[in-house]
Amino acid sequence: MDNLRSTADIMDGILKDKKIEKYTYTLSQSEKQELNLENGGFKLLRTVFNNSGSIRVFLGAKMGSVSGNDITEEGLKKLVDDGILAAESASEDPCHDIAPGQGNDVFRQGVYEPDMDKFIERIKELLDVVKNDYPKVKIMSSVGSYDRWTWISRNSNGTEFEDFAGQYHFFVEICASDGEKTTGLDYSGFSCKDLDRPFIEMGDIKRHLEDIQNSIYPETLEGKFEGTVIVTPGCAADFIYMTLSNYIGEGVVIDGTSLWLDKVGEKVADEKLTIALKPYDDRIVMGERGTANGFRSEEVTLIDKGVLKTHWLSLYGANKTGRPVVKNTGSDLIVEPGDKTLDELIASVDKGLILGGFSGGQPGTNGEFSGVAKNSFLIENGKVKCAVTETMVNGNLGEAFRNIRGISKEVLCDGSSVVPYIAIDGIVISGK
Amino acid sequence: MLQDIIKTKTGLFADGVQTVLRGHENRTRRVVLLKGNLVQNSRSEARGINARVNNNGTFGFASIAEYSPEAAEKVLKAATENAIFLGKHSGRNIALPTSIGTGEIPLNCDIKDTEQKVLIEMCQTVDNYIATKYPDLTSRTIVYYEDSQDRIVYTSDAFNGHLVTPRCYLYVVLNAESKEGVPVELFKAFGGFGSFYDNFSKLDEIYPEIDKLYKKLMDKKEGVYAEAGYKTVVLGGMMGGMLAHEAVGHTVEADLVRGGSVAGPSLNKRVASDLVTMVDFAHTYNGGLAPLPVYLDDEGTKAIDDTLIKDGILVGYMNDRESAAEYNMQPTGNARGWTFSDEPIIRMRNTCILPGTNTVDELIASVDDGYYLIDSGNGQADLTGEFMFGVTCGYEIKNGKLGRALLDTTVTGVAFEMLKTVDMVSNEVEWSSSGFCGKKQPMAVGMGGPHMRCKIMIGGR
Repeated sequence: MDNLRSTADIMDGILKDKKIEKYTYTLSQSEKQELNLENGGFKLLRTVFNNSGSIRVFLGAKMGSVSGNDITEEGLKKLVDDGILAAESASEDPCHDIAPGQGNDVFRQGVYEPDMDKFIERIKELLDVVKNDYPKVKIMSSVGSYDRWTWISRNSNGTEFEDFAGQYHFFVEICASDGEKTTGLDYSGFSCKDLDRPFIEMGDIKRHLEDIQNSIYPETLEGKFEGTVIVTPGCAADFIYMTLSNYIGEGVVIDGTSLWLDKVGEKVADEKLTIALKPYDDRIVMGERGTANGFRSEEVTLIDKGVLKTHWLSLYGANKTGRPVVKNTGSDLIVEPGDKTLDELIASVDKGLILGGFSGGQPGTNGEFSGVAKNSFLIENGKVKCAVTETMVNGNLGEAFRNIRGISKEVLCDGSSVVPYIAIDGIVISGK
Repeated sequence: MLQDIIKTKTGLFADGVQTVLRGHENRTRRVVLLKGNLVQNSRSEARGINARVNNNGTFGFASIAEYSPEAAEKVLKAATENAIFLGKHSGRNIALPTSIGTGEIPLNCDIKDTEQKVLIEMCQTVDNYIATKYPDLTSRTIVYYEDSQDRIVYTSDAFNGHLVTPRCYLYVVLNAESKEGVPVELFKAFGGFGSFYDNFSKLDEIYPEIDKLYKKLMDKKEGVYAEAGYKTVVLGGMMGGMLAHEAVGHTVEADLVRGGSVAGPSLNKRVASDLVTMVDFAHTYNGGLAPLPVYLDDEGTKAIDDTLIKDGILVGYMNDRESAAEYNMQPTGNARGWTFSDEPIIRMRNTCILPGTNTVDELIASVDDGYYLIDSGNGQADLTGEFMFGVTCGYEIKNGKLGRALLDTTVTGVAFEMLKTVDMVSNEVEWSSSGFCGKKQPMAVGMGGPHMRCKIMIGGR
């Protein structure tokens, strides 16, 4: 990849010529080597060389934002001109701003030179494991990619961040079949910095393979009942992001529709629940290093032992509402583990589900959710009984946070989050 | 608009393989007003070139974020090398699909850019209308979103052509609060294929629709939870379109059939009542433009309609060239990529369940105790055809008349079982094209359907 620093110097010159006094921009270059598999075999090798440039131009209290992938000198000139036009078109809003100067920093994460031969061998190794140990499982499609990128960000307050990063990512889409009887789809994936461990040991690939093989003959539930749902880590992460978006996200705080608008410092969840964003945690492969507003990313606890510590606001949202800014816009989710094993959680449930996936509509601001339990299993009298189909779960996100029965000691580390199993009471489960 | 700078590079296509060279540009424009605040004001443009080489069933693909003759040379070389490298590991040896004709597809339309200032002013005008007329709303969001694809395709043994697909939308989101302080929300999308002035030159046509949306939101404020269970419902046209796309469409994409979808063993069998016929339209519907017309796909296949269900019998899949050869079907132009860096995969275009003979009033009047489900926020389905749609707008039906509004809920079922319960179909189709289909890459698609009476599982407290 070319030297982005010299490209940034050209950008600085253009901004100076145009007499732009307030701005923030990011330039990046990336390379992708992507192996695509279909039905358990290699089918396509995809190479992508990409560039991008984005800038926010401030003219007084007006702000315009543009982006593109042409970072030649001509392309940068057009980017700046378009940014000026966008800013001139905007209405005045002094809440748009950039962070105070953060100085200079260079970040390095992950692996910069891939070992594609070993990557292919690890994938083949997993294919063999599936073929031998999970004979009814079909890997419908799979993508193994190595991504490498560098970016540089500068702003008119004197901040300069530069980042060099590279990682492997692997994703499988699986089903299982026996004759004409087929399961639905299931997915699993992870990111990693090295290829030291077999892929069957990474993320929760093994659990997904076992669960899908045990789902070929699901049962349909009759009627409805209120029960306990043990949410698997991948599904729990989805629920947590939905809840954060609905109750502490920027949009609902700015427009005042959040039901947790005045709950900072108060208990909003069971005391077993602690949620944080930790971009520098060793288990996070590519943590955020700088925010779009120009802050150096920081660790932040959103909920501590059930108490809401902050809303999740960018600089704009903070300025708009007079509340504190959160210097983290990433997805480096860490949920603290609990004191029970998964087996203990299951044993404590009279009737409920292990919820492997949730297929549902995006809940409205009232937090009501309703959807289909995917890749899920019925629990009765503390035992896992059978896979289920055509089963719906209904509840409220806020109530679910308050009705946590237990959190597992076991956590899923997939490179982008660390999340345990979470058992929640009071969920309405309905069958046909 | 892209200029053709790559034609001269077709002489570099290697012998004995199938090659596609594609220049591609995506543009987006976005304005968001949240309660009158301009929270997003952005434009983006990304262009580049890619090549895909099929070497006996092993594919090499390469792309560069640069649109130039030199970039064309580089991607052709890299794609060929990728196909050869991966061939050593793939073990695939599949005969190349035979040619399905060659020729030139002419440019279908133009893309007209609009100043950001005009877009912002339009959003502010609509926002002012709502803020002034409906001060009791707790919040409102106005989103203008526009994207366009511009692609030039050259192939070694298929059609060449230039296709552009501009579309633009105005999304209006209204928020209110019930007496108990529970927030409720409804949204509606306006717009469609074409540029800004094709869709938004007459704002007066939008205001009555916003008024109707407000009325529905006021109904929803007093709404009730649906009663969970297996119910008789009238699905609105938007829900019918969602059903066509999510529940049936994905299961009949040939790559998913190959992976084991329920459509595999169901070919030429009954999968729906005989009132159901479903077609993936290429570019023309009922004598006019389909919502998002496709004339040529990214493998160089000339796009034609693809009938999937005929009078309740599953009769076809959606294919790329390779799967069409495998299933002995005709490729109809479904292989598409979203950006210059995306390889073509099998995608829907304008997927629609065809209309029947009843009126909507007749459908509603025929239900003693059930629900009228009008609009959906999102939907998903899997290989078994088990689907889920979020329902954002609906009403009870009691003794053939509409009752109380519903709060948000979800419906589910298994497509090929649920479609057999369809016993009345309305005589008009509602289309939507404002969303994205997600399948490795995003893709702009159209979906449509009539009102249908059927039985379905509905979620509730």
